[in-house]
Amino acid sequence: MQVIGLIRLDLLFETISGIIALMVTYYATKAYRLTGQKKLSDISTGFLVLSAGMFGRVIGTWYFFIQFGGEGSHLIISIVTIAYGVSRIMAYILFFISIRPSHTSDNQENQNGSGISLLLMATFLVDPSLEIIAIMVLIVVVLQSILNYLSTGSKFARYVLVGFILLLLSHIWMAQVTSAPVATAPGLYLLSQGAQLLGFLSLLVMLIKAGRD
Amino acid sequence: MSRKRAYRSKMRILADMMRAIQSEGEEGVGPTKILYAANLSHDRLKQYIDELVNKELILEEDLDSNNRTYYLTEKGREFLREFIRIERFSEAFGIDI
Repeated sequence: MQVIGLIRLDLLFETISGIIALMVTYYATKAYRLTGQKKLSDISTGFLVLSAGMFGRVIGTWYFFIQFGGEGSHLIISIVTIAYGVSRIMAYILFFISIRPSHTSDNQENQNGSGISLLLMATFLVDPSLEIIAIMVLIVVVLQSILNYLSTGSKFARYVLVGFILLLLSHIWMAQVTSAPVATAPGLYLLSQGAQLLGFLSLLVMLIKAGRD
Repeated sequence: MSRKRAYRSKMRILADMMRAIQSEGEEGVGPTKILYAANLSHDRLKQYIDELVNKELILEEDLDSNNRTYYLTEKGREFLREFIRIERFSEAFGIDI
């Protein structure tokens, strides 16, 4: 019963995060239409994929786990979980592409790009866990956000950095939970989902502050 | 540490021109001041000013052929406010616009 309550709370957190991701999508699309900057389109697509994955997970988990008590639905829950994990990795790769510093030469960009591709391929070969792959990509995104914050000193860049750090922590804690059943590590599971929500709230604060006159 | 800007998009150039006009308030501003503030060549300045006038973002007052003054319209002010919001959003993700 405690696990059901925990999952309900998790789905609430996930829904709020998904709504914030949609808000970032809307804002990035608007910015892309005005400026024609391709990287803003990538950010928009990244957050759209992320929100689609989140809502897919919420609907899938609600329908098959809460409604039917998880009876006979393990395969579908597995599919939902894998789709969610893949959508998050796709989104983080798009963030990596769009946050990549723009003043590097094409040659350097290609080298960096092939470097990260090999790194990702290596994680597929070494560890098939989607959580580990997400962590690897997010570490690069966090490093890029740190460089961006250090070079601009912008408070808006700081909110994005805090957001991505919290998302990374959320994945690290979730990776620890996946090594043990949720029932045996409910605190860590909730901590992971809480960190994700706080990460998205940091992005929401950035949106609100950037939108002020 | 300051980040080198690789290039200025057309939208940024238009926004820089409008900022130069806005900085003078109600008095309006002449083409030379816009040219220096937005760091443009004379040909490109004329081209972009025509575009801003056609889009009703700025107003041209032609006192005589050698004395033109430009003012920001309400539509221009709203555009500039929107551009600043988008500029902050892009800056948050380290994207040059």
